Amino acid sequence: MKAKGTIRIAVDIGGTFTDGLAVLTPGGRIWVAKTLTTPRDPGEAVTTVMADLLRQVAGVSPNVTEVVHGTTLVTNTLIERKGAKTGLIVTQGTRDVLTIGREIRYELYDLNLEIPQPLVDESKRLEAIERMDVEGQVVQPLAQAEIDRLMNALQGMDVEAIGVCFLHAYVNEAHEQQVEAAIHKRFPKLAVSISSNIAREIREYERMSTVAANAYVQPLMAEYLNRLDTRVHELAPKAPLRIMVSSGGFTSGKAAAETPILLLESGPAGGVLSALNTARNCGIDQILAFDMGGTTAKACVAVGGEPLVSHSFECARVARFKRGSGLPILIPSIDLIEIGAGGGSVAHVNDLGLLNVGPESSGADPGPACYGQGGTGATVTDADLVLGYLNADNFLGGAMKLRRDLAEAALGRLAAKLKLTTTDVAWGICNIVNENMAAAARIHIAEKGHDPRDFAMVATGGAGPVHVVEVARKLQIPRVLATIAAGAGSCLGLLAAPARVDRAWSQPCLMKDIAWKQIATAYEGMRSDAEAELKSAGADQKIIKWYIGAEMRYAGQGHNVSVSLPWRNVSKAMAPALLQAFETNYRQLYGHLVPGAAAQVITWRLTGRSVVKSHKFTWGDTRASSKPVLRGKRDIYLPLKKKYMPVPVYERYSLKPGTRLTGPVVLEERESTLVVPVKADLHILPDYTVSVTIKEF
Amino acid sequence: MKKQIVTKLDPISLEIQWKRLVSMVDEASAAFVRTSFSVLVREANDFAVVLTDAQGRSIAQSILSIPSFIGTLPATVKHFLQKFPASTLKPGDVMITNDPWMGTGHIHDVNIAMPIFHKGKIVAYAAVVSHMPDIGGRIRNAGIRDIYEEGLQIPRMKLIRAGKPDQNLLDMIGQNVRVPEQTLGDIWAQVAACKMLEERLNPLLSEIDIESLGAEIRRRSERAMKSAIRAVPDGVYHGRTQHDGFEEPIIINATVTVKGDKLSIDYTGSSAQVPRAVNVVPIYCFAYSAFAVKALLCPDVPNNEGSFTPITTSAPLGSIFNPTYPAASGGRGMIGHMMVPAIMMALAKVLPERALAEGSSNSSITVTGEHRGRPYAAVNFMNAGQGATKHRDGFTMLSFPSNLSNTPIEVFEQMAPLRVIERAIRRGSGGKGKNKGGDGLRFEVEVVADTPMMASMIMTRYKTAPQGIFGGAAGKVGGLTLNGKAINPADHWVLNKGDRVVMETAGGGGFGAA
Repeated sequence: MKAKGTIRIAVDIGGTFTDGLAVLTPGGRIWVAKTLTTPRDPGEAVTTVMADLLRQVAGVSPNVTEVVHGTTLVTNTLIERKGAKTGLIVTQGTRDVLTIGREIRYELYDLNLEIPQPLVDESKRLEAIERMDVEGQVVQPLAQAEIDRLMNALQGMDVEAIGVCFLHAYVNEAHEQQVEAAIHKRFPKLAVSISSNIAREIREYERMSTVAANAYVQPLMAEYLNRLDTRVHELAPKAPLRIMVSSGGFTSGKAAAETPILLLESGPAGGVLSALNTARNCGIDQILAFDMGGTTAKACVAVGGEPLVSHSFECARVARFKRGSGLPILIPSIDLIEIGAGGGSVAHVNDLGLLNVGPESSGADPGPACYGQGGTGATVTDADLVLGYLNADNFLGGAMKLRRDLAEAALGRLAAKLKLTTTDVAWGICNIVNENMAAAARIHIAEKGHDPRDFAMVATGGAGPVHVVEVARKLQIPRVLATIAAGAGSCLGLLAAPARVDRAWSQPCLMKDIAWKQIATAYEGMRSDAEAELKSAGADQKIIKWYIGAEMRYAGQGHNVSVSLPWRNVSKAMAPALLQAFETNYRQLYGHLVPGAAAQVITWRLTGRSVVKSHKFTWGDTRASSKPVLRGKRDIYLPLKKKYMPVPVYERYSLKPGTRLTGPVVLEERESTLVVPVKADLHILPDYTVSVTIKEF
Repeated sequence: MKKQIVTKLDPISLEIQWKRLVSMVDEASAAFVRTSFSVLVREANDFAVVLTDAQGRSIAQSILSIPSFIGTLPATVKHFLQKFPASTLKPGDVMITNDPWMGTGHIHDVNIAMPIFHKGKIVAYAAVVSHMPDIGGRIRNAGIRDIYEEGLQIPRMKLIRAGKPDQNLLDMIGQNVRVPEQTLGDIWAQVAACKMLEERLNPLLSEIDIESLGAEIRRRSERAMKSAIRAVPDGVYHGRTQHDGFEEPIIINATVTVKGDKLSIDYTGSSAQVPRAVNVVPIYCFAYSAFAVKALLCPDVPNNEGSFTPITTSAPLGSIFNPTYPAASGGRGMIGHMMVPAIMMALAKVLPERALAEGSSNSSITVTGEHRGRPYAAVNFMNAGQGATKHRDGFTMLSFPSNLSNTPIEVFEQMAPLRVIERAIRRGSGGKGKNKGGDGLRFEVEVVADTPMMASMIMTRYKTAPQGIFGGAAGKVGGLTLNGKAINPADHWVLNKGDRVVMETAGGGGFGAA
């Protein structure tokens, strides 16, 4: 039977698996595919997954109109240090800035801490005689002879990519552009990144780090994206390739190849967009997106249907969870924070004789003890299995059998050390990891000036639905949503993503001193440039909404408050609206304004994105049966009763919209399990989301 | 379900409840950092938030705080209680002081504490200490001779009485500082952080018994610290180092006595107190001594009364580590930071695996004045090379033992009419050795101000080089020049347009013969 309609495909390359998902429009039926990631040639797995999906949908519609792609390739290249040989040209006197960094220790008491190494070797940094002042006035011109000298120095340097970062280039890019043009002319094949294009923001170390990282990954990513484009074209000739960026939008393959650093959080951003889409379908506008997988757990606050976007980010940390142990990157990125090490987190007894969980993770190999691959440490997954939350015979749909005996042995060793029972330790691990994640989420929410009790929590990822109810209870969050196909959550998000482009430039100035004419001219230039990019990403100009943004603060303060206004004529007339928006947001974050203080704009922003539509998905093949399939009853640990009790276990695919259940209950699907270990009302919503209202705290 | 107060604590419940309290303290500290005006708070974490029990014993301290505040804030709470007995405190009372002997060792830190009531009884105190953007007086400089020059002194007072702020006190503070809206803004942010902690703690008080939780944490922390000390061979160990000083060097002489599970450090033999702003009051002497012991022996044990019970410090009255009023102490870190190498050198002989050669703590430049008709004030920290260990070379330009970041060149130039000519590694300044000492910094600025600029440079290790250990060579000393001529950092300097200042920080000592 041939149905009319078009197919959109999303492919997300993760650390272990490459996930794919196809959706039929209209109707929203989905098909899922999964294969192992192919690190040597990541595009291979993309081809495998796409071919699989095309086979699945062949009988429905062969008409593929779009392929959206997310990848952790940029992050991995930075972590594994497998990027290009990179050079850097900087202002005279700042050659060492990349090595010096900010001079602080991310850990106070560790006398032997590891410092992240810069991406550019000291021997590959050149200093240019040139200088701008804080207002962008030329103090020392960049002479042609100096440019020639630099080019000659480059000649002898063994580099494949080059970054340029001059002081105060965020106000005046002229010198950087001169150098860029000279490099293009003399070395047409050399990849060049200039800081005024990549991250036009004040703070030279962070900007230099960003431009160096972009240059470092660019040759590899350009080649990868180029080949991928060809591969996708072979499989789906009419489908343009769109690339997911960290800010939660998509862009063209071409734009992505120029600024690949924007792809840093490309995959994880998808999970948040999937959670947001679900929330939108349910009419909820304040959520805590919670994604927990095998090696990492992340959270993100989203208010008003929009994820919070942060403009600085840290990648390739040498010490997990330690702020300051990575490389700073100034890019717009969905504000996701890592709140835990996921199901693989290993438990141990610390110096104080207390049970601790993580940050060490067993990873995929050897993995938790119950994987039977030689892991001996007791992990969160082992605890979940022993507590009855996971079904040993249903892990990855039964493809992988879990060994309960090995999990119990691992937990037993800790129990003996602590003089507690195995059950105590299993529940302890689960409870502690939940507390850790709740604590990290609580601080994150506080930093944004919100109260967790106003939020609903949306779970994605393999382990997300297992832990979400308990984490929500700790945060006093009464409502939890579990999305359809949580295991392929990122892909759903990629398909729900809007087209998006961001531009920014720093120009610190007191509100009362702003030269509005100059700002208006700058915005005009930015907007036509941004429009061109959106056009090349295939976005319909008519449905693009534009926003004027600013990072503002009171003069003297160190942290910015983000402000965003719908597009308007840039002129002095917008000053009151800008100030009002600043004060509203400031009050939201801090509860009060500062009397007598002068507001200041640090950075101007422009965002354009397509209107976000809500997407409803249903299972592609007919898995839903006429009535809920009860797989039986299983003993699970009920935290409030402090004992094991039998609870019903349902097959999630069999639950049609409108179905109502009550907790305690367990819902199993192929890639995940929703565990509700307390009294709760469950309701299957029209988009197959499971809505849980918690009844006891 | 009715909640019961848990009083029996197993290793799992304790971990969970404690984690919850620590996360509340960190939540309040996150809110505080964001609202603060002080560059030192924002960029260098020069603040601390603490939750104590009803006796002022610490339960949880913010994770980000720098070592100066180890143990000081709970001691400050106890000092408040000596003046304002708990029985006289009312809900809505907030106490304040910047007395160095009662607080953190210099008047630039303002301490705030607030009782938290539950069912009419005080069950805890929330306290916040923070380095003020300005406290009046002369600009912080080592050459200051007594506390009166340093600025406004706030004895232990009530800032808020039962919810009613003392407007006289606020006016008084505002009148005495250069940037009243910033200093007062930060004090209010401290109060807000205390209130946030109270609000978060309240719902938990029906499930958590602060008293027994605190007792159990202290017991376990004390046991861990004691077992770490027991692993050090009993003995009396000597460490001696010296600071550049002024007319003559200042001696830091530490005698570390390890006996069973106790460790004491006595500073007899160190210099007498000096009429300069480098005196170290006992509260600060303890903070940095405890830091050295903890970093060396058991870095993972949390900061609280329990982990510090086995450690004691002492120094004769009138010495630089136990000065009498009105000693000045604004630059206390200059001497205080050197207690760390003295203790490390003392214990190096018995702990060669962990020993650290000498490095140098930070230097700084502070400038004020008027440019284009507007006042400005800015500070920039410069870190130095650190000592090598058996396992690695010393760190190049890393803040130690404090943790102060530099200010970006672009931000510094926004804040003050200066042009940074160079921020570079001083290659070759680290001492040679099997493992080399870390290199120091070369920082050069040119004045572009249209009116004369007041400048104060605090220099560390510009006369006395950081020493190597086990045959490693000493690092190079730092230096300070104005237009190419060496100048005295103990003086205040007036700089004019076109003047160039070069500050060089020292290199760290090497480990083992090269």
